[in-house]
Amino acid sequence: METKVLSEHYDKPSFKTLSGYKELSGYEDLAKALKMDPKKIIEDVKAAGLRGRGGAGFPTGVKWGFLPDNGEPRYLLCNADEGEPGTFKDRLMMERAPHQLIEGMIISAFAIGSKKSYIYIRGEYNESIRILEKALKEAYDDGLLGKNILDSGFDHDMDIYVGAGAYICGEETAMISSLEGLKGQPKLKPPFPAIEGYLKKPTIVNNVESLAAVKYIIRDGVDGYRKYGTEKSAGTKLFSVSGNVVKPGNYEIPLGMSMKELIMDIAGGIKPGRKLKAVIPGGSSTPILTAEEALKVDMDYESMAELGTFLGSGAVIVIDDSNCMVDLLGVLMHFYHHESCGQCTPCREGTGWLNKLVHSILKGEAKMKDLELINGVSNHMMGRTICALSDAAAMPALSFLKKFRDEFEYYVKEGRSKIKGVSYAEVNH
Amino acid sequence: MSKAPQPSGLSNWYLPGIFKGLWYTLTNMIKNIFNRKGMPTLNYPEEKYNYSPRFKGSHVLTVKKDGSLRCTACMLCATNCPAQCITIEASEHEDPEVEKFPIKYEIDVLRCVYCGFCEEACPVDAVRMGPEWQTPGLAGSNFNYDIQKLAYRANLKGGIQSSLDDKERHEAGI
Amino acid sequence: MPKLTINGTEVEVKEGATVIEAFKKMNEDIAHYCWHPGLSIAGVCRLCMIDVEGARGPQIACNTLAKEGMVVTNQSEQIKDIVKWGMDFHLINHPLDCPICDQAGECGLQEQYMKFGQYDPEMDQPKVKKRKVVDLGEKIVLDSERCILCSRCVRFTDEVSKTKELGIFNRGDRSEVGTFADKPLNNKYSLNTVDICPVGALTSKDFRFRQRVWYLKNDDTVCNGCSTGCNVKVYYNEDGLFRVTPEYNEDVNGYWMCDEGRDIYKFANKDQRLLKAKKYDGSSWQEQTAGKAMQELHHNLFDDVKTNCSKVGVVFTGQYTNEEYADAMQTFKSLGVASFFEWNDTAENVNDFDDLLIRGDKNPNTKGLQDEAANHSGLKKLADAIAAVNSGQIDTIFVMAPENIAVYPNYQSTYEALSKAKNFIWFGANKTDGFEKTNSQNTYLIPMKSYIEKSGTFSGAKAIQKFNYVTTIVAGALTLSEAMTLFQGKEIEFELRSKPMKTLKNNHFTSNRGKL
Repeated sequence: METKVLSEHYDKPSFKTLSGYKELSGYEDLAKALKMDPKKIIEDVKAAGLRGRGGAGFPTGVKWGFLPDNGEPRYLLCNADEGEPGTFKDRLMMERAPHQLIEGMIISAFAIGSKKSYIYIRGEYNESIRILEKALKEAYDDGLLGKNILDSGFDHDMDIYVGAGAYICGEETAMISSLEGLKGQPKLKPPFPAIEGYLKKPTIVNNVESLAAVKYIIRDGVDGYRKYGTEKSAGTKLFSVSGNVVKPGNYEIPLGMSMKELIMDIAGGIKPGRKLKAVIPGGSSTPILTAEEALKVDMDYESMAELGTFLGSGAVIVIDDSNCMVDLLGVLMHFYHHESCGQCTPCREGTGWLNKLVHSILKGEAKMKDLELINGVSNHMMGRTICALSDAAAMPALSFLKKFRDEFEYYVKEGRSKIKGVSYAEVNH
Repeated sequence: MSKAPQPSGLSNWYLPGIFKGLWYTLTNMIKNIFNRKGMPTLNYPEEKYNYSPRFKGSHVLTVKKDGSLRCTACMLCATNCPAQCITIEASEHEDPEVEKFPIKYEIDVLRCVYCGFCEEACPVDAVRMGPEWQTPGLAGSNFNYDIQKLAYRANLKGGIQSSLDDKERHEAGI
Repeated sequence: MPKLTINGTEVEVKEGATVIEAFKKMNEDIAHYCWHPGLSIAGVCRLCMIDVEGARGPQIACNTLAKEGMVVTNQSEQIKDIVKWGMDFHLINHPLDCPICDQAGECGLQEQYMKFGQYDPEMDQPKVKKRKVVDLGEKIVLDSERCILCSRCVRFTDEVSKTKELGIFNRGDRSEVGTFADKPLNNKYSLNTVDICPVGALTSKDFRFRQRVWYLKNDDTVCNGCSTGCNVKVYYNEDGLFRVTPEYNEDVNGYWMCDEGRDIYKFANKDQRLLKAKKYDGSSWQEQTAGKAMQELHHNLFDDVKTNCSKVGVVFTGQYTNEEYADAMQTFKSLGVASFFEWNDTAENVNDFDDLLIRGDKNPNTKGLQDEAANHSGLKKLADAIAAVNSGQIDTIFVMAPENIAVYPNYQSTYEALSKAKNFIWFGANKTDGFEKTNSQNTYLIPMKSYIEKSGTFSGAKAIQKFNYVTTIVAGALTLSEAMTLFQGKEIEFELRSKPMKTLKNNHFTSNRGKL
C-alpha cells in the first residue's frame, strides 16, 4: 500500500495555490521551525536519518554539518535538474505542490543560515517552471519570503534558475558552475562545495524531495518520521515506476517495502501475456537486476547495495520479455555519449567508444572480442574521473553484459536480435 | 678454421701449374661447344638476368591515384639513410587533406649504397627500390636525382601507384 | 616543509606543493598532459594517477596536496594498467598524422606512449573527424583532430596573457578548441601556446614544416629583443637557426616569452648578415676579410686618431655585451677620445612595461652601456653626433651598429647622416642594400658577430645575465673586443670552440643505437 506522507494532497488541484496549501497543510511547520534553534534542526534531520533523495543517498544532516562556522554567507541550491533517465518524481511535486518545496527550502535555509537560495530547474520542464514562478510570487506577496519572514527576523530570498538541456548539470559542482555563468562542467573535488562552492562560498546542494521532506521531519518530529522505513533507510520515498507495467506513475512507499509489492501490486504488474525479465532499480545509471533478483529485493539502500546496485533516484524501469537487451543498452550508451561534458579523457573517449561498440553489435558488424572490450573499457572508466558520469555509463554496460550475456553473444554470432529476430541495422537512436 | 692447402712437391714447380690451367680451359671450351645451354654466362645485352622482385635497384617515388606524389615529406627516409644521401624540403599544400608535400626530394645516387633502409622506413609506401639497375650517365651528367627523375621518368610510364591510399583510409574512419 | 616518500625515496617540498611537484623535483617519471607548473590545476587528463597509502583508491597527483609522512607510489601493476588505458583513451580518436605533424620527435603522445603505454591498440571503430588546418590568426595553425583537450592553451589565455580568446566548444568527444567565431588569436604572447601544447594541435606558422626537430641541436642563451632579457633556447643546425623557445627562469621571465622575441633568430642567420668587410674609397666597393680591414685601419687611422683625438667620435648602441663595452671604451680612452654618443631609437619608450614581459626599450644592454660609460666620459645624444659630423667638428666616426635592425626605424637615415664624416667606420652584423648610400669617401664596413656567436653579459632591466656561446654562423665576423685588439695592432688569439653535441633527449631506443 502507498503511504502518502509527501504526496498526501497531490490529487487536489487547489494544493498548488497558496490559499489551498495553507488550508490543507499550511505554513505552520515553517512557523514552528523559525522558533527553533537552527542547530537543533540540523540535529533532528541527522537523527531522522534522512538520506539524499537525488541518487547518492548521502545523509542530509551530515552534509549540512560540513558547513564551516566562519560567518561567510552560504547558499542553498535545490537540484531540480532531474536528469536521471526514468525519474519524474520531482516534476510531480513541483507541478502539484510547489509550496511544499518552498516551505521545505525556507526551513532548510534557516537551519543552515543561508540568506539566498536558488532552484536550478531543467529547461525542459516548462509547466513546472511556470507553476513554480507563480508560487514564488505568491510566497513573496504573502511575506513568506523576503525580509523578516513571519516576524522572526530571518531574511531569505529565493530565485529560479533555468537550465539548458545538460544532464551533467545535475552533478552538484557542474550545477554550481552553470549557476556562476560558466560552462556546466564539474569542478575538481577537493575543495568540496560545502567549503568552497557557489562564488567560492559554502554551498549546500540538495534534491527537491530531500528539501521537501525536511518539512515533515519538523511536523512529525524525529520519531514520527522514523515511523516508516527501516533503521538505516528511514522515511518514505517517491518512486517513479515506468516501463512495461499496467499502471506506470509516481508512488510513495515506505523504504523497505519489497520491490515485488511495488511492481506487482501498486503499479499493477506486468501486462497480461508477458513475463518480467529485468528491472532497473534506480535510474539508468544503476546496475540492472534480473527478474529473480528483482522479486526478492527490498526497496532500501542496504538491500540494493548487497546486490551490487543502488537505490539511486528511485526510477524503477520495468522490462518484460518482449524487449531486446542489446537494443536497450544501445539507447543508454547513446544517451551517455551525448551527455558527457568532455572534460576528462576516460569519460569523453570511453562513452564514445562504448557507444560505437554497442552500435556495431546492433549493426551486426561486431566480433566476440568486442564483448571483452566492452568489459575492459567499462572497468577502466570507473573511478578514474572528476565526476560520476563515467561510472554511470560504465555500470549499465557491465551489468547488462554480465547478466544477459547470452543475448549479446547471440547477436554477435547471428547478426540479429535473439528476441526480436531482426538486426537493428537502420538504428535511429 | 681450415688451413689453405699449401703448395708441396710437384706443384712448387712452375710448368705443371700452367698445364693444369690450360687443360681446364680446353675441357671447358669443349664442354661449352657441345652443351650451349649449360653455360653459366649470359649473352648480355640480348639475354638479361631476371632478378627477384625484392631486388634493390633504382629508386622509385610512387604516386597517388591522381598522379601527384605520394610522399608526405616526413623525412624518415632521410633520417634512416646510413649514407645521408637524401635531401628533402617540405612545403604546405593548399588541400587540407594533403597538408604536407615535398617541393624538393633529391637522392645523390653516387652516395647511395642501395641498402633499402629508406624503403623500410617509409610509412606510406612512397619510396621503393625498383627493379632497374641500368642507369648509366656520361661524364658531367647529374647524379642528383630529383622528383622528376625519381617519380616520372619515362620507364615508369606515368608513375607507379602507391599501395597506401589516404582517401580510402579516411573514409574507413581511421 | 612536509616530507613525503615517493617510490621509496624521501623528498622534501615546500608548503602547499602538490605531489606532482614532488615527483618533478625528484625527476621521477609520471605521466601527465594537462598539468603545467606555470598554470592552474585542471585535472582533466587523469594520467598522473598515484597510490596513496590509506586513501580509498587511486588519486591524481596534480590535485593532491603533499602532507607530512605521505607514502606515495606509482609503480604498482594497477597504476601501470590505469596509465596504459589512459594513454589508450587519449589515442583512440587521434589521427594518424605523425608523418605530417611538426611535433613528431617532441610529441607528448609519442614520448609517453613509449614510456607508459606500449600496448596493442584494439580500437577498430571509425574515429571522430574534426576540422584540420584551421587558421587561428597570423601566427598559429590549429588542428582540432590532434587536440587531446588538455586545456593548457585555454588556461594560458585566461591566466597568463589574460586575453581570454581561446575556449573549448561543444560537448563530449565533439569538443574542439577554438576562438569565438574563428576570430584571430593575436595577442603578444600567443606563441607560448604552441610551446605548451603537448601535441601538434597548435603549430607555429613560422616554423611549420621547415625542419624536423631531431635534426636540430639546442642551446641556452638570453633574448636580445628588449631589456627584459628572457632566457631562451635557440634551435639550430648547420643550415642556421630555426626557432626560439623560452627557458624557465624564476626571476626574469618565469616560463614564458613574448612573440617579438621569437623573431630574434632571423637577423642572426646567414642570409641577413654581413659576411666580409667592405671598403669604399670614393669610387668603388671592395671586399676583404675583417681582420685585414682592421689591420688597414690600424695602419691608416690609428695614429691620426691619437693625434686628432678631439675630432673623433664613437657612437654606441645598447646591443653589445658589457665586456665589449669595457674593451672598446678602454681602447678609445687610451687614445684620448672622449666623445661617446648613445644611439637608441626606442629611447622615449624606455619606461614602458606591459606588466608581463615586454619592455619598451628594445635593446638588451642599455643599462650596461650607461654604467660603463659612467666610468669614462659619459654619453651624449645621437643628435649631437649628427650635428658635429655636419659641422665638421668630428671627422672620424666609429659606429657600433645594432644587429636587431627591426627596432631601429632610423637605421638608414642615421647611416646616411653619420656617413657625412670624412672617415666612417661602421661595425655591424647585418647587411642592407642601403649601405650603398654612403656619403663618406673612406667607408669601412666591418662584420660583427651576433649575440649567439659570443659569450658575454647583458645588464637587463631585471637582472644581469651571463650567456654563453652557442654556435658560429659567420666565421669571418669579429666581436667588438677582437676588433679593438686588431685596431691597436695586436693579434687576437683563436680558441677552438668545439663543444659536446647536445641533441634532444634520447629514449631507450636511440640510446641503444649502435649496440647489438
